[in-house]
Amino acid sequence: MATENEAVDSFYVLPEECIASVLSFTTPSDASSSSFVSTNFRSAAESDIVWERFLPPQYRSIISRSADSSSLSSSSKKQLYLRLCDHPLLIDDGKKSFWLEKRSGKICYMLSPKDLVIVWMETPFYWRWTSLPDARFAEVAELVNVCWLEIRGKINACMLSPGTLYTAYLVFKVTTGSFGFENQPVEVAVGVGGSEGHKRTRSVFLDMERGRRQRYQIVPAARRGGPFHRHRCLPQSIEEADIGECPKERGDGWLEIELGEFFNGGDDDDDGEVEMSVLEVKGGNWKGGLIVQGFEIRPKRM
Amino acid sequence: MSSTLCCSFAKNVTLRSSDGQTFEVEEAAAQVSQTIKRMIEDGCTGSVIPVPNLTGPVLALVIEYFKKHSPPSDGCPTALLEMEIKDWDAKFVAVDNDTLLDLTLAAHYLEIQGLLDLTCHRVADILNDNSVEKIREIFHIKNDFTPEEEAEERSKIQWAFE
Repeated sequence: MATENEAVDSFYVLPEECIASVLSFTTPSDASSSSFVSTNFRSAAESDIVWERFLPPQYRSIISRSADSSSLSSSSKKQLYLRLCDHPLLIDDGKKSFWLEKRSGKICYMLSPKDLVIVWMETPFYWRWTSLPDARFAEVAELVNVCWLEIRGKINACMLSPGTLYTAYLVFKVTTGSFGFENQPVEVAVGVGGSEGHKRTRSVFLDMERGRRQRYQIVPAARRGGPFHRHRCLPQSIEEADIGECPKERGDGWLEIELGEFFNGGDDDDDGEVEMSVLEVKGGNWKGGLIVQGFEIRPKRM
Repeated sequence: MSSTLCCSFAKNVTLRSSDGQTFEVEEAAAQVSQTIKRMIEDGCTGSVIPVPNLTGPVLALVIEYFKKHSPPSDGCPTALLEMEIKDWDAKFVAVDNDTLLDLTLAAHYLEIQGLLDLTCHRVADILNDNSVEKIREIFHIKNDFTPEEEAEERSKIQWAFE
């Protein structure tokens, strides 16, 4: 605009709607942090125009699958967004948990054991249903004792955010009497598109103790590899060996082990199902003492 | 502003900026703006259409946008044409920050959704790349919070996003 004086508050002349349009092209965290640029940024950053854009396009239909949906309808879009980030929503008769990743607004799910196929689940000698106060679902699955461990889950890729690299996890606990997993690798796999060939299979350990023991086993290997740099190389080798191999502790008191990752392109031609599995049928030994909360699918952290 | 030789059938309208400059433009091109379209439909075509919120230089830029985005007279836009327009758009908004804000405001006032999306996207990219202090500096924004209010805002964001 023409004069110096006008130029000094040039953004100030932009109506709040315009600032809101600008913010809807940023990210949830950028829109939020821009709210302390000035008071009219703050009010624009609260507006429904902005947060409607950050919610996934199908959020209404997902929310309608929850028994809780009426409690969500009255809030502002920003409140709704933060609610869906901080408090996962149970949908599909409590069989799935749905939430959004806060920084990106991408869709995340946890599939409860009721939404998974667990071989022998209906035989109480092998598996049983149990309730835990820190579980998201009313009932979770406790492995009592099996030789044949097989858990499978699937989700349609169109339920997830397009253009996103996702990681799938098994979320579980180990009970005090856990047995049979000490030296027994478990095969985990994730694949999109149906045929077994698409699946990438890896071996992992569900035993927390093993992770600790493994660190000591790596020492001689590192010594052989590089006597000069032994001390400096060591921490890095441990780090690398740990990634994806052994369970990690989560903030919510549960453990997780990565099953694998997949890219959800979101194009019409690859809207297949994402299949995930946890399998231990080769060892043949008895094993037990796991509590399975579900399979979690969330965007891979870059 | 006299590209009328080759298209003698095209009807022109005259737009006048806040500082009194006049521009002649094809009616079909000017209707890229919903605001102008409504004015034409209301019968303002005979006289000059005033555009009091835009200065001459900004209106001249907006008219360039009109011309590039006026519906093609010979049918549907091809994919090649669309790509060319996309390239043109990117160059069109690669301007200094003050001009960018003027164009944003013009797009808002004249209801040119395509231009509004284009400029807002560009402003958003600048916001993404800079700190709050830098954003205030770039766009000459006065911080109208009291220090207490600002501290409170910051702690709220930290709570929400860290």
